[in-house]
Amino acid sequence: MKKIKGIWLSLVALGVVLALAGCSSGEAAGGKVVIYTNGDEAASDAMASALDAAGYEDKYMLQSLGTSELGGKLMAEGDKIEADLVTMSSYFIESAQQEHEMFTDVSFGTEALEQHPAYYAPILANTGAIFVNTEVLKDKGLPMPTSLKDLAKPEFKGLVSIPNIMASSTGWLFVQAIISEYGEEEGQTVLQDLIANTGPHLESSGSGPIKKVQAGEVAVGFGLRYQAVVAKESGLPIEYVDPTEGNFSLTEAVAVVKKDEETTKLATEMAAVITKDAREELLEHYPVALYEGETVSAVNQPTHSKQFDQPLTVELLQQHQDFFKAAN
Amino acid sequence: MPNVKPAMRVIYIPVLALFAAFLVVPLGILFVRSFQTSEGFNFANYLAVLSDQELLTSIGNSVKVSSLTAVITTILAFMLAYAVNCTRIYRPLKTVIKTGILLPMLLPTITYGFAIIYSFGNQGIITKIVGRNLVEIYGFNGLLMGYVMYTLPAAFLLINNSFKYIDKKYIVVSKLMGDGTIRSFKNTIIRPLVGTLGGAFVLSFILSFTDFGIPASVGGTYSVVATQLYQVMLGSIPNFNHGAAIAVVMLVPAVFGVLLLNYLEKLNFHYDKFGETELMPHKGRDIGFGLVSGAVLFVMLSVFAVMFVAPFVSSYPYDLTFTFKHFIDTFESSDLTAVYKNSLFVALLTAVFGTCIAFSAAVLNVRTAVKGKSSLDAVAMMTNTVPGMVLGLSYLLLFNGSSLKGTFAIIMLCNIVHFFTTPYLMAKNALSKMNPTWETTGELLGDSWLQTIRRVILPNSVSTVIEMFSYYFVNAMVTISGIIFLVTAQTSLVASKIKELQHFGKFNEIFMLSLLIFVTNIIVKLLCDYFQKRVSTQR
Repeated sequence: MKKIKGIWLSLVALGVVLALAGCSSGEAAGGKVVIYTNGDEAASDAMASALDAAGYEDKYMLQSLGTSELGGKLMAEGDKIEADLVTMSSYFIESAQQEHEMFTDVSFGTEALEQHPAYYAPILANTGAIFVNTEVLKDKGLPMPTSLKDLAKPEFKGLVSIPNIMASSTGWLFVQAIISEYGEEEGQTVLQDLIANTGPHLESSGSGPIKKVQAGEVAVGFGLRYQAVVAKESGLPIEYVDPTEGNFSLTEAVAVVKKDEETTKLATEMAAVITKDAREELLEHYPVALYEGETVSAVNQPTHSKQFDQPLTVELLQQHQDFFKAAN
Repeated sequence: MPNVKPAMRVIYIPVLALFAAFLVVPLGILFVRSFQTSEGFNFANYLAVLSDQELLTSIGNSVKVSSLTAVITTILAFMLAYAVNCTRIYRPLKTVIKTGILLPMLLPTITYGFAIIYSFGNQGIITKIVGRNLVEIYGFNGLLMGYVMYTLPAAFLLINNSFKYIDKKYIVVSKLMGDGTIRSFKNTIIRPLVGTLGGAFVLSFILSFTDFGIPASVGGTYSVVATQLYQVMLGSIPNFNHGAAIAVVMLVPAVFGVLLLNYLEKLNFHYDKFGETELMPHKGRDIGFGLVSGAVLFVMLSVFAVMFVAPFVSSYPYDLTFTFKHFIDTFESSDLTAVYKNSLFVALLTAVFGTCIAFSAAVLNVRTAVKGKSSLDAVAMMTNTVPGMVLGLSYLLLFNGSSLKGTFAIIMLCNIVHFFTTPYLMAKNALSKMNPTWETTGELLGDSWLQTIRRVILPNSVSTVIEMFSYYFVNAMVTISGIIFLVTAQTSLVASKIKELQHFGKFNEIFMLSLLIFVTNIIVKLLCDYFQKRVSTQR
């Protein structure tokens, strides 16, 4: 019986110790700058290594979220969000600022190629492209596609993977391409056939299609161009194709959430480090020049670079989501 | 039963206050929010939700796939329980069935989905061995497989337990009286088990209907209620009021299920006396059931085998050279070890405090005369009904602006309330079997009520307490539905981290973390078993 009491007492003691430990560790984490990012692994890595090199190791916490998830949080929580620093698609930052006025101005004295509001600074741009698994393509005896319209052909049924615009901003890139090339009406038909061909391989994450193509689950995918470039360079049977409809791009930016003075100051310093020091590495993975003096290598130059003719906003995204839903 | 002592109230009031604050009020708020619109209170949210074709489809899908799961699970669980209890198959095989079938309980449901992808997907292990795709796993089939794996252990435990109360002598007698196989089977097995089988069906249905992990990993485009709720709450254009309405809709089948369970309870009957009776030999029966249970076990284990293979080869499925690289990488990433520590911390505290609360509640209900003590049964009934996702969502709505938001405390409280029913019933069961006069005797000998609890009641229920602890721990370790709305960057847990890693398709890390959970749970289970054995040998 004594032993039992011993076990019981030690359990209680353990609980108390853990509770104390929990309180103290909670405080320690509270001192860190929390960074929410919708960036891919490569983007997160680049930011982390820049921050570490600048001496901020252990002073921040990087949390990755899906674009729609983070967007939802920004719109719903405003400056009550856990994050002190956010890197996110610029159109979402603009909408969240309009709704909540939640970001402070940042200026680092760098020269961006395009104008942007004072409350964010662009850190990277994403470009979309088609990519194929050449082995699967050969196995199935399929021709090399050149356009998104090609992927809507019946022979690609069940062999295409695309990201879902409802959850992923990468998904928006091909919807833009389809609308700008074919207009609403013909575009609807193309999209319908494309979605039908996709079947179960409609991915909620922008990195979903490249994974499916790499794994040989499907023959063709649409996603971020650089991912295919990296996959090909690593020796996988992957080839990338710039669709004739155009390579559209989305900008992601860094913004500092209004918090108490001390946190905001530290977060702003980190934002400056990310825009300046991380650019070199970011440019490798997201080869779009954003600041003066930047160049990108030939392999990363998309053949059919295009700009959408309307400003990108959450409202436009909503419209395009509805357009996408209607094709479902 | 002793008179009401101040000490009892001292325990009763905080326990009740806890459930008021973390069960009744949040659900109340959820209910209110579901009627709240920009134009005051009305049914607009429900109208919007119920006229959304996509949502209706997903409800239909959920009902369809959960019903089929429930049918399959009930049949399989029954066959396995029958094999264990009513056949003469090789004894060690029975032990293997009994243990093997429970393994999925030690893993988060989100892991099964990934395991299925890596087993039955185009490049999966089983696909490679067979040489072709057996089934299309994204969507309905994947969900069905995942749900069956998820619900089979619980259904098996339920049915296996009821089998213990069936007197096998009747089977022999029925045979001797010349009953045909079907008639004998119907009267001696099915009839006494009808209530339990219905219970297993309801349980499997509700578990599948409310699970979030499996559709999150293998759902594909086949949308179900749980993923819809998640999208409405955390999608690009969130709508909390719509979310609240969906959550209330999600409660409906659960409420019906619990009502049905209570009704089915009446169909159960127990034989007064039953003993170990050796069954008559029957080769065909034994071989048949041996094969079925072997097959179920094989499929289940082979799906999980991938978890142990994928992270230990360089680049699955292209390069199958053995390597510790991913293993080392995972442990070198301070991020993942921090998340693992968080999980361990949450699970331990959930288990310690949860066990204390559930045990106190059971003591109050069974062994005191405190007024209104039956409210604790009502609480247990509610916690049994409310799905984890709905509970988590109601916390999000209620505590969003408060200092509890983003703390470990809110996650633990959610777990403690979410998993309260089973440990509470375990304790109630054990306590009601004890001699009702102990407290009186203690009092006569000069012990206060609390002293009696500590010196007599508690030592006599140590075995149950350990079981409660292990139940809370394992469930806190694997749950994702309950906490998905509550975790933050600083309180991230392993199960929610797995969902995040999915974003980057980092399967090695996913399986590594799953293995960590699995191994942790196994160790806790073994430790608990060890302590339980020690306690029982001391008697």
